Amino acid sequence: MLEYSEPVARLIDEFKRLPGIGQKSAQRLAFHVLRLPEERVEDFVEALRQVKEKIVFCSSCNNLTDVDPCQYCSSPSRDRSMICVVEEPYNLVAIEKTRSYKGLYHILHGSLSPIRGIGPDELMLSNLFPRLSTDEEDGEEVKEIIIATNPTTEGEATANYIARLVKPLGIRVTRIAMGMPVGSDLEFVDEVTMDKALSNRHEI
Amino acid sequence: MLLESVAADGFRNLDGKFSCGNGLNIICGNNGHGKTNWLEAIHLLSTTKSFRTARLSEAIRFDATTAIVRGEVRQSGQIVRTIQVILEGNTKTLTVNGKKETVQNYMGQLYAFVFNSDELEIVRGSPDSRRRFLDDGIVSIFPPFVQTLSDFNKVIRQKNKLLQNARKDETPANKVEALLAPWNEQLVSLASRIHKARVRFVERLNEVLERKLFDREELSIRYVSSLEGKGDLDDYESLIAERLSLRTQAEIYSGYSLIGPHRDDLEINFDGREMRKFGSSGQQRSALLSLLLAGVSVFHEQQDEYPLFLIDDIDAELDYRRIGKLLEYLDGKTQTFVTTSKESFVEKFGVDARVIRVAEGLPTGES
Ligand SMILES: [Zn+2]
Repeated sequence: MLEYSEPVARLIDEFKRLPGIGQKSAQRLAFHVLRLPEERVEDFVEALRQVKEKIVFCSSCNNLTDVDPCQYCSSPSRDRSMICVVEEPYNLVAIEKTRSYKGLYHILHGSLSPIRGIGPDELMLSNLFPRLSTDEEDGEEVKEIIIATNPTTEGEATANYIARLVKPLGIRVTRIAMGMPVGSDLEFVDEVTMDKALSNRHEI
Repeated sequence: MLLESVAADGFRNLDGKFSCGNGLNIICGNNGHGKTNWLEAIHLLSTTKSFRTARLSEAIRFDATTAIVRGEVRQSGQIVRTIQVILEGNTKTLTVNGKKETVQNYMGQLYAFVFNSDELEIVRGSPDSRRRFLDDGIVSIFPPFVQTLSDFNKVIRQKNKLLQNARKDETPANKVEALLAPWNEQLVSLASRIHKARVRFVERLNEVLERKLFDREELSIRYVSSLEGKGDLDDYESLIAERLSLRTQAEIYSGYSLIGPHRDDLEINFDGREMRKFGSSGQQRSALLSLLLAGVSVFHEQQDEYPLFLIDDIDAELDYRRIGKLLEYLDGKTQTFVTTSKESFVEKFGVDARVIRVAEGLPTGES
């Protein structure tokens, strides 16, 4: 038997699918929606629809973007000899906030975790390698890969896995310095810490 | 460190507050009235863990949404801090003077060693309880070790899953090796840190261990690495790396991580014989007490302060001869909390002690 009428139960179920949302939060959100004026709900629905319609993965770096290639990949002022590899788009945002990094990015959309069923094939990794070859159309050679995955065991494994594939190509591979708390998520690292982590990166 | 008072609300059946004495504190009450709950609350404040359950949500009273345990801790002359553990659902919040703190920063305010019937597993149970005894002891003097242990356990779980997948899917060997490498590399460095820390900790225990405090037989301990006899343990990092690469096939075949400090043990002997197999229940209790007291001494050496010492159901676990020796040893050192249901115990040992009487979870009187 349903505790709530079907449309409400369905909305609660949809909220529960979102990351970090449990039964209680889902109920709270659903009842919040029920109390909203009609036009606010319309705006919300429209925002959801637009993000799916207009946002795509950048075909070069996998960033979320409304133009392909994304603003970083298409910018003439970015340094094309460096690619910084991150787990999620919000990690890119954290690095951009430092204003000290001018290279390109590559977003994996995850990290290796056998427990969660994520192997190398589940990451958006394979399209990194064509970017490393010298006969790329823009002609600029990639000299360094900076791996800025999270300082967690999964992030470390991912960094290590990528380093093992990239190093034989003769490209310098560095890891950002873990001056930041181990086991943490780069999402919560402030600009100063991130800036230090970038400048103190070391060869792996 | 001195626990000046402890208060609880919503934690099991507890309610209220009592102030503590500097030396021996006897928590006295009939069975089922909550004296062990108070000891558990003090343990939670000291270590952020329960000695009864890994699932702290079980400790929240059925009709409450949160459980709070609060303590006033005197660090030194003038500094008194309020520390607090708040349980809500499955989350645990730690505060010092009202400010939220991480486990690593919270630890170090207070620490406790505990003797109860479950802890006897250390001397008579499987190796994992002995590894836990060592790891807890290391964390007591070096809180960041918590992170090393947690990372190590994560790596082992990830690696086991990988091995099991590889076996199930019959993944080609070279591909499995490529997938394993990033986990093994972390395993090597984490395992080396754990090995080194445990070996050093056992050395320290050995330096202070009272070998004949309770009985005539001589107590001895030794850390036994599962890589013993496989090569040079002084160069553990190279040795484990070599063993990992040699044993990959066996690991895939079994579906489990076979190499690492999660397979080590602490050997506990009396007069050269294995305590676990040949010790009487009295000798095992003596051995556990001696080990805990060695832990207390190492803690004191490192921190220049004594931890708390907690003993649950003291007269059910120990005879009066051992209790006498133990309390004499602890006197002037630790702030000690024991629980008992017997008035005769209070009469015999309670002369200079603070006695806290508990009925239905409430402290009803102190003397
Ligand atoms: Zn891009």
